[in-house]
Amino acid sequence: MTSKLTYMGSIGLAAITCVTATPALAAGTTAGSSITNTATVDFQVGGVSQTQQSASDSFVVDRKIDLTVEEDGTATTEVVPGQSNAVTTFLLTNNSNEVLDFALAATQITGGTAKHLGTDSFNATNVRIYRDNAVTGTVGSFDPGDALVTYADEVPVDTPVRLFVVADIPGGLATGAVAGIQLRATAREGGTASSQGAAVSQTSGANTAGKDTVFADIAGVNDGARDAAHSAADDYTVKTATLTVTKTSRVVDDPLNGASNPKLIPGATVEYCIAIANAAGGAAATSVAISDSVPGQLTFVAGSIKLNGTVTGSTCNADGGAGGSYAAPVVSGTIATIAAGQTRTLVFQTKVN
Amino acid sequence: MRSALLLAFAALLPGQALAADQIALDNSVFVERVKTDAAGKQRILLEEPKVVVPGDKLVFVLNYRNAGARAADRFVITNPLPAAVRFADAGDTQPLVSVDGGHAWGRLADLTITLADGTRRAAQPADVTHIRWAFQKPIPAGASGKLMFRGIVK
Repeated sequence: MTSKLTYMGSIGLAAITCVTATPALAAGTTAGSSITNTATVDFQVGGVSQTQQSASDSFVVDRKIDLTVEEDGTATTEVVPGQSNAVTTFLLTNNSNEVLDFALAATQITGGTAKHLGTDSFNATNVRIYRDNAVTGTVGSFDPGDALVTYADEVPVDTPVRLFVVADIPGGLATGAVAGIQLRATAREGGTASSQGAAVSQTSGANTAGKDTVFADIAGVNDGARDAAHSAADDYTVKTATLTVTKTSRVVDDPLNGASNPKLIPGATVEYCIAIANAAGGAAATSVAISDSVPGQLTFVAGSIKLNGTVTGSTCNADGGAGGSYAAPVVSGTIATIAAGQTRTLVFQTKVN
Repeated sequence: MRSALLLAFAALLPGQALAADQIALDNSVFVERVKTDAAGKQRILLEEPKVVVPGDKLVFVLNYRNAGARAADRFVITNPLPAAVRFADAGDTQPLVSVDGGHAWGRLADLTITLADGTRRAAQPADVTHIRWAFQKPIPAGASGKLMFRGIVK
């Protein structure tokens, strides 16, 4: 075949260099349109202009089926156990040269490495797909105006469609648990709004002069190349608060020794410290409610509650601010937020009966 | 492969199947494909435009022949570019091109495009709207030749 090129070059008509194609337009000329090239010749014979001659050639542009599904963003979706409507976002782009429908399938992986390198360890439930309403509501974010779909209807060329895979997260999961999600889109015939078109098939056998169909898509995470489908992965990662509670007590003073080496005798003051530790690496815990019953042998010291205090190492600093309440025999208090890696305390005093 | 070869030769035989007019003009188009054979060698094939999708490279071939008895003078071939085709190059056939719908003509390197803000930039192959070959010398009776250009399906 090189000989042909040389031949063409030798008669001075073709450069040997290949056409340096600038990146082809993703979608381009609509399938089925006809391209007609017409050349005309103007000339004179013996100084007299002659009738213009022309010649045409035409062919039909075929249908190229190409699409991409990709994760929108580069991070996992952080979820908490028991969360409803946890959202992962994908972009579907129709790179074909025709408006098409796309069948959608959201699946979950079982074990193995999820998109963001975690190991899949659980399955989300109630997995649904929504198509972003690009006109109303919060465009680009999941909101009630988005439509629950099983296929993407009449997807225009070259315009990414945002799809939300929405799922519920089971309770009782630990920080770091991962659920891998995959979304696959498969081209279907377009042209009829509000109904999913038939499957698209590639023109087999001999080429025809009419509009043929050629699959041009690349392989995705769960589909092959040139199968009119593409797929991408994302995942949910659980980030929760892991709280541990430690209760300590110390004798603050007694009626005889005062604060100097007090002993646990009747009338002595005993200080309790309830320390709530939130493990590092998780999420902040909010509205942490603490309650503790005062034993019958002790009497609560009114106004002695200190809330939201700190610890140093494992030593309770017995600090904190006002707050909490006492409703005999229960001391209670609520700490607004305990960040991951922090420890906060509730401290109160009692007297030995 | 064989058919592509035959096609190529058909394109190289000027005047074949041309009308017996004063000037015969024949216009054909091929799709240029690069195929890698079993040995990993890349081969360029020219195929009939049966499967054509956006991004495909096209080779347009114009064959002309002076079928008359006398020389043809002021011989000008004009080829408006189809709207769905982006011009790439014309090999070494050195055509004049127009980037404004056929009003002004020149070598691509000499043409400019006026931008919205009034400034001008050099014309690019993608700006070409028309291609023209104007022959300096008369085409003698019976003489023939071939011109080509390449484009890309938008």
